[in-house]
Amino acid sequence: MLKKDLILKSPVSKTLGIENIQDGRFGAVISRAGVGKTSFLVQIAITQLLRNKKILHISLVEPIEKINLRYSDGYTNLIDSIGYVDPQKALRLWEDIYPNKVGISYNELTFDTEKIREYLKSFKKADLALPSIIVMDGLNFDKDVSAILEKLDHLSQEFSVFIWFSIRCHREEKLCADGFPIQLENYKTLFDKALFLNPVEDKIEAIILKDGARTDLKFKLDSSTMMISEEG
Amino acid sequence: MIRDLKRVRNIGISAHIDSGKTTLTERILFYTARIHKINEVRGKDGVGATMDSMELERERGITIASAATYCEWDKHNINIIDTPGHVDFTVEVERSLRVLDGVILVLCSVSGVQSQSITVDQQMKRYQVPCIAFVNKCDRSGANPAKVCTQLRDKLGHNSVLMQLPIGLEDKHEGIIDLVSMKALYFEGDNGEKVLSKDIPAHMMDDARKAREEMIDAVSFFSESLTDAVLEEKEITTELIMEAVRIGTISRQMTPVFLGSAYKNKAVQPLLDAVVDYLPSPLDIENQAIDMNNNEEAVILESSFDKPTVALAFKLEDGQYGQLTYIRVYQGCINKGDTLINSRDGKKFKAGRLIRMHSNQMEDVEAVPAGHIGAMFGIDCASGDTFVSPQINYTLLAMHIMEPVISLSVVPKDNKAQINMSKALNRFTKEDPTFKTYVDHETGDTIIQGMGELHLEVYVERMKREYGAEVITGQPRVAYRETITQKALFNYTHKKQTGGAGQYGRVSGFLEPCDEDFLFVNKVTGGRIPTNYIPACEHGFKACMEKGPKLEFPVTGIKVTLEDGAYHAVDSSDMAFKAAARGGFLEAYAKAKPVIKEPIMKVVIETPNEFQGSCMGLINQRRGIIQGSQEEGVMSVVESQVPLSEMFGFSTILRSATQGKAQFTMEFSAYKQVPQSVAEEIVRKKLEEKSKK
Repeated sequence: MLKKDLILKSPVSKTLGIENIQDGRFGAVISRAGVGKTSFLVQIAITQLLRNKKILHISLVEPIEKINLRYSDGYTNLIDSIGYVDPQKALRLWEDIYPNKVGISYNELTFDTEKIREYLKSFKKADLALPSIIVMDGLNFDKDVSAILEKLDHLSQEFSVFIWFSIRCHREEKLCADGFPIQLENYKTLFDKALFLNPVEDKIEAIILKDGARTDLKFKLDSSTMMISEEG
Repeated sequence: MIRDLKRVRNIGISAHIDSGKTTLTERILFYTARIHKINEVRGKDGVGATMDSMELERERGITIASAATYCEWDKHNINIIDTPGHVDFTVEVERSLRVLDGVILVLCSVSGVQSQSITVDQQMKRYQVPCIAFVNKCDRSGANPAKVCTQLRDKLGHNSVLMQLPIGLEDKHEGIIDLVSMKALYFEGDNGEKVLSKDIPAHMMDDARKAREEMIDAVSFFSESLTDAVLEEKEITTELIMEAVRIGTISRQMTPVFLGSAYKNKAVQPLLDAVVDYLPSPLDIENQAIDMNNNEEAVILESSFDKPTVALAFKLEDGQYGQLTYIRVYQGCINKGDTLINSRDGKKFKAGRLIRMHSNQMEDVEAVPAGHIGAMFGIDCASGDTFVSPQINYTLLAMHIMEPVISLSVVPKDNKAQINMSKALNRFTKEDPTFKTYVDHETGDTIIQGMGELHLEVYVERMKREYGAEVITGQPRVAYRETITQKALFNYTHKKQTGGAGQYGRVSGFLEPCDEDFLFVNKVTGGRIPTNYIPACEHGFKACMEKGPKLEFPVTGIKVTLEDGAYHAVDSSDMAFKAAARGGFLEAYAKAKPVIKEPIMKVVIETPNEFQGSCMGLINQRRGIIQGSQEEGVMSVVESQVPLSEMFGFSTILRSATQGKAQFTMEFSAYKQVPQSVAEEIVRKKLEEKSKK
């Protein structure tokens, strides 16, 4: 019951749609630094956890403690958004779903997709369910990432896993003609979904840039919790 | 032994495995002139470190048993306990910390805060032991003491403050800058015994000034005079800083961090100065006991020699002269020939031969006064017993002892081995509270239980070497537990009439899951069961916990509430109510959805980055849950929770998967319910075993 309530209340349900999260290969959450890309990605991941699916969170910029903290904060925000919940019940649910999340912190300079492949292969070997999505946080799209993306694309196909990326854009850069930030322009064919987070006054506007026929839909999020804003 | 307690330090050296604790202790003993030659751990000279006195320790290059020694530095008497790093021997750390006043927490400057450092830190917190940190191995490639200092803050929550700066790191590590005296210290001579104090190299002056400012800023919280001196821009004297650091350290509000390389004989002497300057004397620590004659009220012990004696037996060892009991005296003084009482059983005994230990050598002493650690011969007692003068009846709080999680059957090879094995087991169980043994009545096998594979392996090896008892070991077995998952009612009448006096007792109530091992609540009113039979009921229920009805594993986590019952004026007895309780328990247990629980271990693998994926794969294949993985330089750390039953032989598998480059530590984390498929397999095996008997 609590699970269902939380899934319904998740900002991901409203913006992307639950079934839609892992439909395709690549997805991107784009924004300037500090707006909330990672927090939104964590909400995507938590939604999957609530659906009893496994997720793999890879960060090239944050240590494992920080990743874990983001998940507990994200869950607390989601719990708070549905009003009063028995804390024991909430804790039990978290203890139940949290083990399905694996966080890995890699050094950006030495990151190699082969390590992920090794890990994913072990799931097949042990006949275990594979992670449904991989969250890839901190890949620097200001550099040429075509080689890494190509490898990750193979990985996505080999293991049928959807990969969500965070992409940082810059305030001073202009958007491309079709509204995409310049960082995504060269790779946009690879991405099935793209969501742009834009700070507007004290809220964050989540704009669907690409998601099949759903484009340019706008949602308002609370800037501190990333939950759907009541006023929006 | 020095009687001026201000000049006594009881310290321990604790850390993660292979951080260099024993190497550091060896240097300390050398510089304090306790030994005249430095021997290395697993030394090429075949001698081995002084503190690793056991043959097995020297061969394996690990410390198995904590060893006590003492030395003198700057007119201070320092009693030192070197403890094992491997988690299987963690009880040694636990009982050492119980009696120590301060600890040197040794950390590797490359690996930083590792899993066992976290465990040791929790133990220090449990006993409120102040510590100073020593970032060792600054000569190693990848050394980064500043990072370790930050990890102390982030991972352990210490208010860590760098007291020194390294002069060069890795192969360029030459010495240190002391930020208190603002001098550069170099260590010369064959064994670094000559400490040269020089001016700080010009190119490091700015860094040193900045670091000193930061240090003073951090420690000024603990001294008003220092704060005033800073604010009023007066001269900040060495004494002012040292006083503030001492206050902060003893109150556990800060951890001063020192640097060096014990192996390369760098900066051990300043660390000894720090032990004397910043770690507490017995007078600085408040110790409490419980007065058994006064409603178990807490009493503060005074480190005074004239007061009645209070001492704790914290470790037992069986040697050629009989049982050696290590004691820490908290109050009064134990003199040869004194009459003492063991407060656990009230037995009187006379203190015989008193000694102080230096690894495996002993030195006879006339008395062990308050504040000191010593040992005595010929006392029959258990680890954790309190010895007191006859006029008082105090008990010191016992140590935290973990329950064993793994067992192994041992069968002696011949008759001679049988006798020797029982002698050996008798001694080992007395020495080590986490090592237990019993005879399985069904198979007739002797079962040994311990904290891990290495723990049991070491004892099997010691049986062979020290007692000539060769044994054949069975497959290691996991200590499963049974528990219930829901509330269930019972209403059971035990009635027997077979001529003569009959048996009658009825019990009614319910079982429910709880966090404690066993709880009994009596809610019987109106004398439905007379009060004198209630203990028999409790006893009957408790007896059922020893062997679970489901698979004969011990049962835990059950609360029994007795609500009602009935008795017979003639036929009721203790025995009848015990039988009724057993019947009631069995009746409710079956309805309470019993499950099997297994020990889950916290497994931390440290591996070169290229094997990280494979290591995570190995965990996956073992029903493990990966909690996270972090790359740290060229190494990766993988933290996980894995069922113990899946970890047997893991070291071999890990070695072959990583070309022998990865290592792991494992420690007990919690008991958790086994998945249904595994439970079925356990049931099948158990039934198979039964049918063979």
